[in-house]
Amino acid sequence: MEKRSILHMLDPMPHNSPFDINMAVDAGFDLIIPYNNVKLEEITGLVQDAIFSRGPTGVKRTAIFVGGRDIGIAMEIMEAAKKAMVPPFEVSIFADPSGAFTTAAALVACIEKQLQEKHGIGLEGCRSVVFGGTGPVGIATGVIASLNGADVTIVDHISIDNALEKATEYNHRCDASLKATFASSDADKARLISNADVVFCTAKAGIQVLSASILADARQLKVAGDVNAVPPLGIEGIRRSHFGAPLIHATGCNGAVGVGAFAVGDIKYQLQNKLLAEMLSTETPVYLDFRDAFQRARALLK
Amino acid sequence: MEKPFILHMFTSEKNLSPFDVNMALDAGWISTIPYTNVEIGEVQALVQDTIFSRSPSGLKRTGIFIGGRSALTAVEMLRVAKQSMFAPFELCMLADPSGAFTTAAAMVALVESKLKKHHNTTLEGKSVLIMGGTGPVGQIAAVLSANAGARTRIVGRQLEKSRSVAETCNREFGGGKIHIEGDADANKPTLIQTADVVMATGAAGIQLLSAELIAAAPLLKVAADVNAVPPSGIAGLDPHHDGTPLAGSQSGAVSLGALAIGNVKYQTQHILLERMRNQLLDGGKPLFLGFEEAFAVAREYLKGR
Repeated sequence: MEKRSILHMLDPMPHNSPFDINMAVDAGFDLIIPYNNVKLEEITGLVQDAIFSRGPTGVKRTAIFVGGRDIGIAMEIMEAAKKAMVPPFEVSIFADPSGAFTTAAALVACIEKQLQEKHGIGLEGCRSVVFGGTGPVGIATGVIASLNGADVTIVDHISIDNALEKATEYNHRCDASLKATFASSDADKARLISNADVVFCTAKAGIQVLSASILADARQLKVAGDVNAVPPLGIEGIRRSHFGAPLIHATGCNGAVGVGAFAVGDIKYQLQNKLLAEMLSTETPVYLDFRDAFQRARALLK
Repeated sequence: MEKPFILHMFTSEKNLSPFDVNMALDAGWISTIPYTNVEIGEVQALVQDTIFSRSPSGLKRTGIFIGGRSALTAVEMLRVAKQSMFAPFELCMLADPSGAFTTAAAMVALVESKLKKHHNTTLEGKSVLIMGGTGPVGQIAAVLSANAGARTRIVGRQLEKSRSVAETCNREFGGGKIHIEGDADANKPTLIQTADVVMATGAAGIQLLSAELIAAAPLLKVAADVNAVPPSGIAGLDPHHDGTPLAGSQSGAVSLGALAIGNVKYQTQHILLERMRNQLLDGGKPLFLGFEEAFAVAREYLKGR
């Protein structure tokens, strides 16, 4: 009998995310084993315990998922896990802390598709602003866009220090070129979007970040995307199901369009399912992070 | 392919009960996922994370179990969990902390059936003593007895504790509609004079009702004990007893032992876990199963047996 597939789910937080567990079961893993409150120094031990007990055929039916809420910690765990592998005793790993990698990958890929379809351009050189840019989804969004050639500024709603700190940290971790600022008033936001080509809204659920009057100050906005699915939504005029609908309040721009949370969520869901399933189908071990997530998201949208 | 059945199992303790995990798997749940040291403040986020990654059709194959040790915490968690749902993202839930809801339900339903069979009467108006009754099984047995119309007393070693537990039961589990009283072990010789039913729910290995007290109980009709570890909580009672005459009783009392109660508890928990697995697939509304539902199931099961 073929060995059952096992997903070891490592999480630095007190609880694994039920969302990810449902996704893993639905992607075909037979057994889900949660590990919580996992510390970085425990990773080598846990990973080597996981790879050495099933033999070279068993490792193909074994994989590791890295969750948590912090993408920096997740990247460190992934790095430590990779180093702990002893080929041919090696298993696939997929990191998606807070769902941030798949959500950000889906968001950037959706925006890129709209840029191409509606404006005939790519991300390269696009002035991009990420509101809610210091949270997990915002950072991952900024990094993915930056690595794909966009000129990205991440925005904190209160603290310039936090924004600068996050930009420095993730530029270092990911070889990105994020800029950082803060915007607490409508005037700050209006100034930021006045010369933006792309706006990503990854702020907290239930908070409107850009109102119609702020949007009226945009001069060259092409695409705006919002991942907030809880009303009031992040960008006035973008509905959750919008996927390239005209951004009616950007009155100073030609042909600006919006992408809403359900459109992004649908791609995120398919993407997470695909990445989990990939760990079951692959012949050689894969290490999946936001880069792979973005590549697969692009393929999904083709 | 149909999505597998997933049961997300929350406990406020450091470990889930392996008993509950076995029961869930044997009731047809395919994946049982533990969440330990869960605090009430975390329940809403966990529930919403659970419901948003499976479509409403997937949620028909998803459930939440609430364990732990405290009846009060479990009841509160069930309430918060229920309020965290959004139609159409709904699923079924069952709370059974320490197995207390199903154990108490089984015991009280069995007591009721023995009262009917051997004494042709009901719990209505009877005097019920829950001995060693300040733990979760005792609390819920007291509430179910009181709900059935019995004059119920929780009897423990410390008067203050018994009284405060009784008050909590009245307020939190009875909605202020029941009036359980608290009393002390020291008063047993007096209390036994008017007792119709005694349920022993104390720690294993402690005798709560002696042969002398049994002989001095002129009205005693049923004596039940959930302790399966010798010595039994009630003198002369064997874990296998199931309506057996209680040795030394002057009033024709019958006895109920831990294995007889355990069997009905097992069936009740199994039925509840199966019911929550099938409810939405059969087109029903979401179920939020607590001790009252457990009692209804135990009664139903005994009727059909």
